[in-house]
Amino acid sequence: MSVLDLLNWVQNTGWATGIKESSLLFPIIEGSHIMALSFSVGMIMILDMRLLRISFRSETVSSIMEQLMPFTLAGFAVEMLTGVLLFLTQAVKAYGNPFFRIKMILLVLAGINALYYQIRYYPKMAEWDRTATPLGVRIVAVTSLALWAGVIACGRTMAYEL
Amino acid sequence: MFQTLLHNFIQWCYYSKDYAFIRDSKYGVPLVQSLHLFGITALLGTTVALNIRLLGIGFKRIPLPLFADQLWPWAKGGVFLTIGAGILVFLPDPTRYARSGPFQLKMVLLLLALLYQFVVFRKVLRKDPESRPVMRNVAFASLSLLLWFGVGWSGRAIAFFQ
Repeated sequence: MSVLDLLNWVQNTGWATGIKESSLLFPIIEGSHIMALSFSVGMIMILDMRLLRISFRSETVSSIMEQLMPFTLAGFAVEMLTGVLLFLTQAVKAYGNPFFRIKMILLVLAGINALYYQIRYYPKMAEWDRTATPLGVRIVAVTSLALWAGVIACGRTMAYEL
Repeated sequence: MFQTLLHNFIQWCYYSKDYAFIRDSKYGVPLVQSLHLFGITALLGTTVALNIRLLGIGFKRIPLPLFADQLWPWAKGGVFLTIGAGILVFLPDPTRYARSGPFQLKMVLLLLALLYQFVVFRKVLRKDPESRPVMRNVAFASLSLLLWFGVGWSGRAIAFFQ
């Protein structure tokens, strides 16, 4: 069975067609996917602003990060759940959509970027928590902002080609 | 006078093709819609963060007036970007939006949300929430969240309902 067969099977299961054809369920899931941006990317944006020392200079990075994290993670959990549901209801078309593919690549890159920060800079945070952020951290922050903007733009654009 | 202005505006919208190029170019609409979403992410992200702090659910290590000071420029920037890009979504297709029930609701809610944000909410943020009765903070936060997410959901509804 090829990937396409699998996707075709998924999007034709009873519950997938049920969501797609529901006049209320689909808008609610799609709307939640967008509204949850306020928690997921919205909170990441605040962290990036601190890393760039544009906002919250009087607070340490570790304090801001710790306080943001529960809400960020909750936001990304909603994004993941609603995103998977949206994908499954139109799996074949989404899979072939170039903007969907770019979005997935950008998501992976955003993950790698965050992981790089965790491995390379997070353990030594005590050294720069209160002072100027290392150049590498600032590059991570700008990269993060650019990647998430790309994810949002590709997500919005793919809807016009479905 | 206001009626004449409104009348002229509606007439102009009806006959104008000045902004049709946005709709007719391949990526015009997705581009302005993406900018609209960047603004929404900044606006709703800061709104959520401010209300979390106001309710005492998170960010407790940062005093609200300082927290608000740091986030207010992003809330304001988000409002301007969202409305600016929103106007560019509206202008190529004025009659479609003007006729839409959810769009009309969205404009009413937007007006209320803006009034609340800049007249009431701004002042609420200047005082330490611990100095107020809990229920008053809950009322201030609920109104802010209901209005802004109401704008968001009614905006999303334009795509799905008449």
